[in-house]
Amino acid sequence: MGTDLHELREESSPFPIRGTMPSRELLLPGHVACPGCGAALAMRYVLKALGERTIVVLPACCWTIIAGAFPYSALKVPVFHTAFETAASAASGVRAALEVTGQEDVTVLAWAGDGGTFDIGLQALSGAAERNDDILYVCYDNEAYMNTGIQRSSATPLKAWTTTTPEKHPKDEPKKDMMAIMAAHRIPYAATASPAYPEDLVRKVKRAKATRGTKFIHIICPCPPGWKASSELSVKLARLAVQTKVFPLYEVEDGVKYTINLEPEGLPVKEYLRLQGRFRHLTEEDIELIQRTVDLEWERLVAKARDSR
Amino acid sequence: MGANASEGERAQLELEVPKRPDEPVVFRSEKEMPPMAVSLGTTLVNKTGSWRYLRPVYNPKLPPCNRACPVGNDIQGFIALILKGKFREAWELLRLTNPFPGITGRVCHHPCELGCNRRQFDEPVAIRLLERLAADEGYRGDFREPVIEKRAERVAIVGSGPAGLSCAHFLALKGYRVTVFEAEAKPGGMLRLGIPEYRLPREVLDREISLVEALGVEIRTGVRIESLEELEGFDAIFLATGLTRSRELKIPGITAEGVLQGLEFLKKVNLGESVRLGKRVAVIGGMNTAIEAARVALRLGARPTVIYRRTRAEMPAIADEIEAAEEEGIEFRFLEAPVEVITADGRIHGVRLVKMELGEPDESGRQRPVPIPGSEFELEVDNLILAVGEEADLSFLPEGVKFNKLEEGRILRLEGAGLKAPVFAGGDLATGAGTVVDAIASGRRAAEAIDYLFRKVEEGPKRRPKTVPFTKINTDYFEHRPRIKGPVLPVSERIKSFKEVELGLTPEEGRREAERCFSCGRCNQCDNCLAFCPDVAISRHGDEYEIDYDYCKGCGICAHECPRWVIDLVEEGK
Amino acid sequence: MIEPGRKVITGNHAVSYGAALARAQVIAAYPITPQTQIVELLADFCAEGVLDAKFIKVESEHSAMAACIGASATGARAFTATSAHGLALMHEMLHWAAGARLPIVMANVNRAMGAPWSIWTDQNDSLSQRDVGWLQFYCESNQEALDTVIQAYKVAEKVSLPAMLVLDAFFLSHTSEPVEIPPQELVDQYLPPYRPPLSLDVEDPRAFGGITMPSEYMELRYKIQRAMEEALEVARAADLEYREVFGRGYGLVEPFMLEDAELALVTSGTVTSTARLVVRELRSQGLPVGLLKIRLFRPFPTEEVRRHLAQVEKIAVIDRNIGFGHGGIFAQEVKSALYNLGLDGGPRPAVFGFIAGLGGRDLTPELIKEIIDYTRERDRPESELIWKGVKL
Repeated sequence: MGTDLHELREESSPFPIRGTMPSRELLLPGHVACPGCGAALAMRYVLKALGERTIVVLPACCWTIIAGAFPYSALKVPVFHTAFETAASAASGVRAALEVTGQEDVTVLAWAGDGGTFDIGLQALSGAAERNDDILYVCYDNEAYMNTGIQRSSATPLKAWTTTTPEKHPKDEPKKDMMAIMAAHRIPYAATASPAYPEDLVRKVKRAKATRGTKFIHIICPCPPGWKASSELSVKLARLAVQTKVFPLYEVEDGVKYTINLEPEGLPVKEYLRLQGRFRHLTEEDIELIQRTVDLEWERLVAKARDSR
Repeated sequence: MGANASEGERAQLELEVPKRPDEPVVFRSEKEMPPMAVSLGTTLVNKTGSWRYLRPVYNPKLPPCNRACPVGNDIQGFIALILKGKFREAWELLRLTNPFPGITGRVCHHPCELGCNRRQFDEPVAIRLLERLAADEGYRGDFREPVIEKRAERVAIVGSGPAGLSCAHFLALKGYRVTVFEAEAKPGGMLRLGIPEYRLPREVLDREISLVEALGVEIRTGVRIESLEELEGFDAIFLATGLTRSRELKIPGITAEGVLQGLEFLKKVNLGESVRLGKRVAVIGGMNTAIEAARVALRLGARPTVIYRRTRAEMPAIADEIEAAEEEGIEFRFLEAPVEVITADGRIHGVRLVKMELGEPDESGRQRPVPIPGSEFELEVDNLILAVGEEADLSFLPEGVKFNKLEEGRILRLEGAGLKAPVFAGGDLATGAGTVVDAIASGRRAAEAIDYLFRKVEEGPKRRPKTVPFTKINTDYFEHRPRIKGPVLPVSERIKSFKEVELGLTPEEGRREAERCFSCGRCNQCDNCLAFCPDVAISRHGDEYEIDYDYCKGCGICAHECPRWVIDLVEEGK
Repeated sequence: MIEPGRKVITGNHAVSYGAALARAQVIAAYPITPQTQIVELLADFCAEGVLDAKFIKVESEHSAMAACIGASATGARAFTATSAHGLALMHEMLHWAAGARLPIVMANVNRAMGAPWSIWTDQNDSLSQRDVGWLQFYCESNQEALDTVIQAYKVAEKVSLPAMLVLDAFFLSHTSEPVEIPPQELVDQYLPPYRPPLSLDVEDPRAFGGITMPSEYMELRYKIQRAMEEALEVARAADLEYREVFGRGYGLVEPFMLEDAELALVTSGTVTSTARLVVRELRSQGLPVGLLKIRLFRPFPTEEVRRHLAQVEKIAVIDRNIGFGHGGIFAQEVKSALYNLGLDGGPRPAVFGFIAGLGGRDLTPELIKEIIDYTRERDRPESELIWKGVKL
């Protein structure tokens, strides 16, 4: 009963996309993401990598709305909407139920924004990670509480404007190092990803899917209204974040083995910042500070990778 | 249904179910609603295309190489075919605009490479080498002569150089009965007489010409046309006699023995006649003829020196040629010009030169060379070869004939009493452009003009799409990679014979070089638009992409991430 | 497999047995005094293979309820237990469970709320949750606790609403009583496996709980209320069937010596046991006193309450809780159930609301006699709430 989703347009291409990516689409158009939404692109790729035997646990975040209002859904997989801070805990419950009812080979995907991961959802995520519950937790990070109108979260980068960190009082604290927190839990697999590098993202999601235990993937998702950038630049920004080392692409196994996936040539951060209105108030000193911070963090990451060889 | 659901419970839920995925769900009463908020339909019902104010549209554009090419070759197109290993198709595509890719692939001055956008990223694509590869590979195997319905009209072409042969090819394809008159014993014009074998092997030239004859064109060699009256009975005439007279250098002693005209020298050697040269040979001039003469002299055992009155930067010869000559060890002397041939017993044994400096620009825009007083000196030479320019021989034309420029300036129409049939002139004769590809373009233009006279059906005005500038290329998708260096014979071997210097690319090398092509303005199915659409609004069918405008929000990511400016964002409603 | 038989066990352990017999499949719980033994015994059952369930040792009660919700939505029978602050921490998710129509069963050990800290019995914790859409059963004995876990699943899964059973801290949770542990086969017969018509299923993908517009939300709330109303009948039937199968039943309310009573006590939880003693004693002295035990508090058994209390002159409600700013909660509910009976000259019993036993203060037979005396001596209460046993 119900709409036969198998009738819907399944493949967007007769060939693998860009030569290697699955052409099966599990995200439907008609969803209400803003034009140019990085989070929509991220979901599209993650579901391609996971396939249809996936249950999505979706806490309060932009995707609550993007997914469509009752009685419609934008996804061709089951979705469970849940409260803000409960992505990981509800996902743990789903997994337990799948095991006890003998449903094999189903991925439980917790899909939360930065607010629901770094801040209010951190406890539940820490609990699930410490128990090593078999869930794939993806944080799609647009670096603020975007759904409620662009308020700062602990994922908001240093000096960025948000409605609660106005230009006269921009965010003074650096972005919380969520990957370090997840590494400290010694989960089997954690990785960063960017929608500008979809093949890398798909590879990481597939790797996570094949791993038992808690997996964490942190995806940088440009947000045109929140970052005050033109909608057409979302992929470019997702690429620049990586190329300027603001958001390096790397993997962490068991919390200790670091692998850097891409050594960028190292464009200056200015190239990334200047395209975003949320940084337009930055002084030269601010930019230098950010550059120094980025360089320092990169060196630390390189050292971790070197030490774990 | 829930995997655990029981039949009875399933039946209890009489839910409102839309028949199509984009149909709205309408609840008329709470009884039609599920007990909790659960989806019954999909967001396909929400046509987000209504949000759009900019609409992405696939709009292929003109690659700058196509634009720069005088014959308008679909360069991007043939390179895309080489990428797929389709050499025959690449060759056939080229032949739509250029009948002789085997020749131009060897001797063209490749303005396409100058226009190539890759040049501003690292180095231009080696287009000329790829054209040669397409011709050499594409010619292999089965080749059938096309069956063409013949027309009644007869066209005479005077001169079997590139312009004449090109015109003959295109007219024959349209069914005209073409006769080409060639004064020399073998056809080819400058291709045979001016360009040496080490640049254009004879079997390649003969092969390309044979394809023209295969279309039914009659080439009558050894027939010099002295006056247009000999061509009575033809419905139209195309004059493509080229520039056959060497310009004279009026300095004392110029008639001494051992002083050769460049054109004649080359012609003799290229026709297989023997020419005696001493060791020290000075070649005067900076055009292709000068370089050719020097390289030929080298192979005849001489130690040639090229003397040019301006600097290397101003040399009009093709850069490849100059480099090849330098590799072969030919000496160049710049900012020097001859003032007198020093003779002894009527024979040259030296030349007096004066040093030059660059002064004010002349009408060509280049700085005029000015002799430096008191800087004259002498060089001992055994031969002097003059290559200071060529001129046309117009002796066969009637008195009082005027030349009218036709559009694009590639051909001229002759006006005057005594002309019974329409007469056109093209190639170097009309334009003096001095390159093979310009001559080919001119020949084709003449064929079109003649065809218009008889069929009066012109192909409609072509709206030229925009040319893609480098600034529109999204270089994020390309990595620097040097251009392939076409393999050449080692210098020690080259200078001993007239063997072809360039060895050409292998198909694998060609494919790898073809990968460097940006494919400016032309979709090459990279999938970026489809891959990066957050709204899943782009789908691919075969090689075509389709945008579902019911859902496209006009974010512009597809246009921005298209590496080659195929997608335009146009305002909705315009 | 749980061994049947008669055992002397605490209330907490009785709940554990109930949950195990009900074949709970996913248990997600966080320790809090005085609930801990419930989950400890369940953990033992799981470890020994006596119970085939997944036990998620969550890191807070909020996560416990969220995990139960995730599990129940995926088609598993979910169970948890908590108390006081743990229940309060779950509050947001209690709403979620009810709105999502998930038949989770939870045992709440009634414990007083801080500040300041208290671990002793008090009903404010569960009564603060009376409007969230959960069924609430107040248990008087350890046997009743075990039996109610099983009944709760039956009712909850029929009407697709979550249910909590409530038991007094220490008086039940830590007090041992003889309890009959029924055979597993009988329980299986009474309570079939959980088979929801809709669940998270990759074979039939749907989105649950998506944002709902004003044009649809109200109907979904209407459906919850309708389910609550249906639950009254379902609970009655479930209890009757329980009586048939196991020989024990409790009703939604239980009248005790209430026929021809002129004064009725209304109680819930362990106070009921004490009140029975007092009523029996006073009856033997010829006083027309009776008792109505309220077992099912949500949905409120208005019909039963009216039937049993309409003809009584005076009603003394003993609340081991207080709705600050108004009064004892059971008293409010009783008054509101009876009020409209008095229209058009119908019966109008006087309702006396007593607050007693908060924070575990002893609610003795003497105190109950004081309450009865106070009520007998007045035609009407002097105020809407009367504190008993408080040092004023």
